[in-house]
Amino acid sequence: MRYVAPKEATVPDRRSPIDLLPAASREWGRIEPPSDQPRWGMVVDTERCIGCWSCAVICKSENNVPLGAWWNRILTEGEGLDLPTTEHGSEEMSWTPLACQMCENPPCVKVCPVQATYVRDDGVVMMDNERCIGCRYCMIACPYGVRTFNWGTPQRPNGLETGMVAERPIGTVEKCTFCVHRLEEGQVPSCVVSCPAGARIFGDLNDPDSRVSRLIRDREGRMLLEDRGTRPKVRYLPARRRRGL
Amino acid sequence: MSAQARSGPVGRGVTERVGRVDPLLAWIGFLLVVMAVGFATWIYQVTNGLGVTNLRNTVMWGQYILFFMFFVGLSAGGLIVASAGRLFGVTRFAPIVRLAVLEATVAVMLAAIFLLPDIGRPERLWHLFRYPNLTSPMIWDIAIVTAYFALSVTYVWLYTRADLAAARSPLALGTGDTPAGRERDDRWKDALAWIALPAAVLLHSITAWIFGLQISRGFWYSAIMAPMFVASALVSGVALVIILALILRRFGRLSFDDGLVSFLGGLLAAFISVEAFLVLAEVLTAAYPGVEFEGDPMARMLTGQFAPLFWFEVSVGLALPFFMLARRSWRASPRMVAAAAGIAIVGIYVHRLNLVLNGLSVAPIGLPPGVSIGTAQNGASFAMSHFYVPSLVEWLIVAGVLAGGALLFTLAVRWLPLRPAGH
Repeated sequence: MRYVAPKEATVPDRRSPIDLLPAASREWGRIEPPSDQPRWGMVVDTERCIGCWSCAVICKSENNVPLGAWWNRILTEGEGLDLPTTEHGSEEMSWTPLACQMCENPPCVKVCPVQATYVRDDGVVMMDNERCIGCRYCMIACPYGVRTFNWGTPQRPNGLETGMVAERPIGTVEKCTFCVHRLEEGQVPSCVVSCPAGARIFGDLNDPDSRVSRLIRDREGRMLLEDRGTRPKVRYLPARRRRGL
Repeated sequence: MSAQARSGPVGRGVTERVGRVDPLLAWIGFLLVVMAVGFATWIYQVTNGLGVTNLRNTVMWGQYILFFMFFVGLSAGGLIVASAGRLFGVTRFAPIVRLAVLEATVAVMLAAIFLLPDIGRPERLWHLFRYPNLTSPMIWDIAIVTAYFALSVTYVWLYTRADLAAARSPLALGTGDTPAGRERDDRWKDALAWIALPAAVLLHSITAWIFGLQISRGFWYSAIMAPMFVASALVSGVALVIILALILRRFGRLSFDDGLVSFLGGLLAAFISVEAFLVLAEVLTAAYPGVEFEGDPMARMLTGQFAPLFWFEVSVGLALPFFMLARRSWRASPRMVAAAAGIAIVGIYVHRLNLVLNGLSVAPIGLPPGVSIGTAQNGASFAMSHFYVPSLVEWLIVAGVLAGGALLFTLAVRWLPLRPAGH
């Protein structure tokens, strides 16, 4: 069976908001020159993450995500939100920012009965919300719990839609897309551009000299839940030193 | 003349009229009302979204999937009784075999219908046939449910065709009742039994694999899921056939002796013991190492949040009916067998409830604040776990589907010759 490509989303005929940015901002978000066949990946430096939720909040506004749903969230390594753990008598804090892990072996794609979730040539795991029947099997299959269902009419704090992406139909599943609409403009995902600590790095995993490839090599970028064999393209750099409070 | 005396005859007339209402019609009317309410509730759910249920991103499958699994299991009785009887030459099932295949047909149909309210975009159901993903256990399950339904309908027709033809019913599809025709039916029944028995085993296994192949859910990811689904299907399926057979005997639609009830009771006890063995094997394997894994669903089941459900399942659902049926003299009583069968069905329902809810009760990864709930009605966006109780909407829709099944079964019992010639 051949995968039938979904209809491309139609982009309204208007100037890209990226072009409206100041040159310095545009430059800050530019993806480093990729290889001929890029395979996008992300590195999260847990040593740098300060648990501020900037990436989670900008994700919501960039992608028009309604109230109650989050494509990106920050897990605290501890007993409660922003509570420290005590190890060998010293208190420590660390966080695990979590969004779609863009698995090389994605369980969600395997179980979707209608091929509504699929892998693009550049490795991005995508959703076709016009095909999704809303069975939520992908949410069962995802070991990271990063998918969210549209349970009703989307609610927004002031009733206004935000960001650069059309809202998804009721009764379908949605998730992080690596901001594919920004990738098309040569810009990194909005969580990467917004991180005040520079804890997120985006780039081409097919290029052995890209910053992400070097960081994964040099600092042994870990996969989350590696034992499940999902082989994520999002890698986590372990902290090199303890961060006592 | 007092007012009371004058009103007397009028009152009696009303009573007589009420008394004359055909109980069958009243029953059908009641079912139609429940179906209409269920259908209207479903329209309400489709319009407003699945947020009207108590499902959320934390527990995203609930009542509907539970009833899907449960009815897949209930459909086991029919084809097992029909095809095992044929393959292994067990002739004593003959008086109830038509009822059994009818029960399987209605149950598997209801199972398929229960998938409808579960999906968010029912109008896109045709995508399943247009863009099927062959690696998805859900596609395998839809294929086997469809095949099983087709087999069951064929069986019902093969078993009743000759009698329908003799009665010149249009349901005989224009065929006649001849000795050669009856012989041909028998040959077909024998041939189909070879497909029907493996199909029944596959039906329950594939339904189990929807859950059991998911490495993301430690509680489900186990090779014992398929055998356990087959065992629990046999328990609930045979139990339902027993109960329906006794009800129809009371209404004079079937006739068989108590020996058959006792035999089925013994069979049920055997199936219950297999189910209990598999539950023991599962729990022991998971609990013995004492390793906390995935928020430790086994501890939640044995001593935690789900302990009441689990111990109810073990004591009332498995042990009690087993002992009620264990002694030959006890299971000689049809009342005892019927009671044990009813309890066993409740036990299997609780077993499946436990399976679905416990498997989903803890957020993946298990670090705070958990997963996003999906709606913001309580001001909170995240939850580590979620105690799921079905909403009124879910109950009304389930009641509607059940009423539809009961209606179909009632009409089939009314119009199909369930009693084989010679019984």
